[in-house]
Amino acid sequence: MKGFVPLVLGIFGTFTFSWVGLILIPNLQIGHLDPQMDEEGTDIYPMPQSGMAERGRHIYAANGCVYCHSEQLRAEYAAADLDRERDAAPEPRPKWGQRRSAPRDYIFNRPVLLGKERMGPDLSNIGKAAPADGENAAPAASPGASPAPSASPAGSPAKASPAPSASSPAPAASLPPKPANSPAASTSPAAAAASPAPAGSSPPAAGANPAPTAQIASVAASPAGSAAGVEPKPGEPAPYSAAWHHRHLYSPRSFSIDSDMPAYRFLYEKRPIAGEPSAEALKLTGRDAPQAGWEIVPTYDAECLVAYLMSLDQSHPLKEVKSAAPAALPAVAPPASPAAAPAAGKGTK
Amino acid sequence: MDATEIPLKPPSVPTDVPTSDVEQIERALIDASTRVPVLMFYTSAIVWLLIGTLLAGFVSIKLHEPDTFSGISFLTWGRLRPAHMNVMVYGWASMAGMGTAIWLMARLCRTVLRHPLLLVAGGGFWNFGVLLGVGGILAGDSTGYQSLEFPPYAAVVLFVAYSLIISWAVLMFRFRRGDQIYITQWYLLGAFLWFPWLYGAAQLMLFVVPVQGVMQAAVDWWFANNLLFLWLGAIGLGTAYYMIPKVIGRPVYSYHLAAIGFWTYALFSSWTGMQRLVDGPFPAWMITASIAATILTIIPVATVGLNHHMTMQGYFPLMRYSPTLRFTVFGAISYTVFSVVGVLISLRSVARYVNFTQASIAYSHLGLYAFFTMVMFGSMYYIVPRLVGREWRYASLIKLHFWASVYGVGLMTVMLLPGGLLQGANMENPSLAFAESTQTILPYLRGRSLAGLLMTAAHFIFAFHFGLMLLGLGRTSSVPTFLNPVEAEGSEEHL
Repeated sequence: MKGFVPLVLGIFGTFTFSWVGLILIPNLQIGHLDPQMDEEGTDIYPMPQSGMAERGRHIYAANGCVYCHSEQLRAEYAAADLDRERDAAPEPRPKWGQRRSAPRDYIFNRPVLLGKERMGPDLSNIGKAAPADGENAAPAASPGASPAPSASPAGSPAKASPAPSASSPAPAASLPPKPANSPAASTSPAAAAASPAPAGSSPPAAGANPAPTAQIASVAASPAGSAAGVEPKPGEPAPYSAAWHHRHLYSPRSFSIDSDMPAYRFLYEKRPIAGEPSAEALKLTGRDAPQAGWEIVPTYDAECLVAYLMSLDQSHPLKEVKSAAPAALPAVAPPASPAAAPAAGKGTK
Repeated sequence: MDATEIPLKPPSVPTDVPTSDVEQIERALIDASTRVPVLMFYTSAIVWLLIGTLLAGFVSIKLHEPDTFSGISFLTWGRLRPAHMNVMVYGWASMAGMGTAIWLMARLCRTVLRHPLLLVAGGGFWNFGVLLGVGGILAGDSTGYQSLEFPPYAAVVLFVAYSLIISWAVLMFRFRRGDQIYITQWYLLGAFLWFPWLYGAAQLMLFVVPVQGVMQAAVDWWFANNLLFLWLGAIGLGTAYYMIPKVIGRPVYSYHLAAIGFWTYALFSSWTGMQRLVDGPFPAWMITASIAATILTIIPVATVGLNHHMTMQGYFPLMRYSPTLRFTVFGAISYTVFSVVGVLISLRSVARYVNFTQASIAYSHLGLYAFFTMVMFGSMYYIVPRLVGREWRYASLIKLHFWASVYGVGLMTVMLLPGGLLQGANMENPSLAFAESTQTILPYLRGRSLAGLLMTAAHFIFAFHFGLMLLGLGRTSSVPTFLNPVEAEGSEEHL
């Protein structure tokens, strides 16, 4: 090669070509999306997250959760992601999701944490997998069929008064006083903003419509289902509730011996009980339990991380994405799918 | 670190050569001028290599023994993994690559290195930047973007360091002698110019004026892939293009083939990256374009491979003797394997199973270790004796290093590729619990830890040997260290 100039021009040219092709043009195509809303300007999705969930996102990124958990679901023709169920939930288990992920799902995410590996399950809808009702968190009252009875009341108030229902899953899922603040704070702006929507026609909150109820209900399940499934033992938090996440982060193998997740004990604080035991203290048993007079409480970082997890929810239908078609699903969980599909259709109008 | 204080014997300038043989003296002078900065880059790189290896040990073992040290925040797996990755890429690979590139540039531009202090300062800043970045990651300040986990303040330091280094490289090119620009120089100049654009563009679009939503992931993977191809890959290929002909004392087989290889490499490999996001929330055309580009990289791979092969034709037995040749040829062959594996796992029908599995770890290690790192080892075995004026002390240590590295990375590939495929197959089967897929990979992860043990041994052996050279404890001899005693005479004079 003779000249220096042609060489440099070529080097610059190839770089520019790649940058224009893979970054600039896609950025024109999907880099400036707006939230989706219906004609009345309500039922807005997605919504920015609260401060706590946003802080939780950074904790999630900083502690490398993204190296084992993806936050993206592939389409049904590309992979079996949409057929997968959440292992820890009682039968019938909730699916990882009802539709594939789309660029619009992520417009407020920064950093966006799609993930490249799955040493743990996908989390794009993990907040959605939480039980609809907070009383699940302390199922000691009804040891036998723990989630079932509490799930049905959860459904009905949701139908009756949509606005509270939109916000209810989040705070409800956590333990009573203080942790209730955290997930509540995380989802409440979204919920509050979404609340005008139920006043309108379209059903944003799952509980507002019989069909999506199937999705929600499938979490906590009908009595029959829960009897068959992995049922939380008395005293254990309901799967995917905030209390469950806390205990899972503190001691992953206390739920499943097969879990390969590292424990995040440094996000929790061990302290002597001063007077009353703290309400947010983790309910631990066996080897994990602290000695008498001590308790394990989440730090603010842990609260934020759980708030972030509880905020992960891509279940809202998107116009550009087909939700799980009935044809694609009958193989698994027939009761949930036919119900969910028309619901999704209705949601998108 | 002040490299000037290292007690080194300056390379002996042969004075008894005929005056016609100015070239030899000229080379010795050039080597002498690059001595301090190159050795400084190499020393830093090897220290980072050892740190990265220890971090890798933690990462690998904790993956199948998750309860080890789980109470300590900076030893949590999710921080160790990016720390390991970044130490290896920015600490080891980039510093070793720049060290080799500096030396090659000086030799090929046939000019004495001017302002070595500029380079030493650049190297110092770079070290500081990597230290700051890794410290930031371990302290819980990681950004969460693959290959760009360094917090922005560390990135700024790296950028300052890099501008010092590149201004030197351009200066050197400016003062080059001779019209011809050798193949290696294309690759090195490309790497030196591509890296700042890539790094700058990625930093700008992720941290300064962030793009929206999933475009961040696109920018991230575009950067991560081009870092592998246009920065490290280009240095590795350029080095191989120098070392193989040099050691066997024979010109490159075809100059035109090399030109085709270089431009198709620049064109196609820069378009790859999105295949890592296959079926993700992106327009399908982006992914398809990258898959097509990945398939097209077969063209540069085939031309480069053919060129090396034809150059080596008839000289393969020399690998028995020359450490440089053995490492470099292994690296060059691995480049082909790496690319073929890359094509296979990018195909949608395969990606369905291997996406989200440990197979992608095997793929990165094929590229960064089996190809790039081995070529760098080879170049160090060639360059260091010329800088310190001594020959490598123990042929046995070089052999141990080579075989431990080869078996290490080989075992790792053999474990993680099939393991990843099985993991993916189980993940694709919704009737199995998810935990089934992670349980499947566990034995393979234990095998990987074993492979890591071999590589750790290799790196410590090499570091020890390098330390001996640095302390002036190498052999004083006029013949290079051969791996095996040379029976036949001649033909090895260039080794």
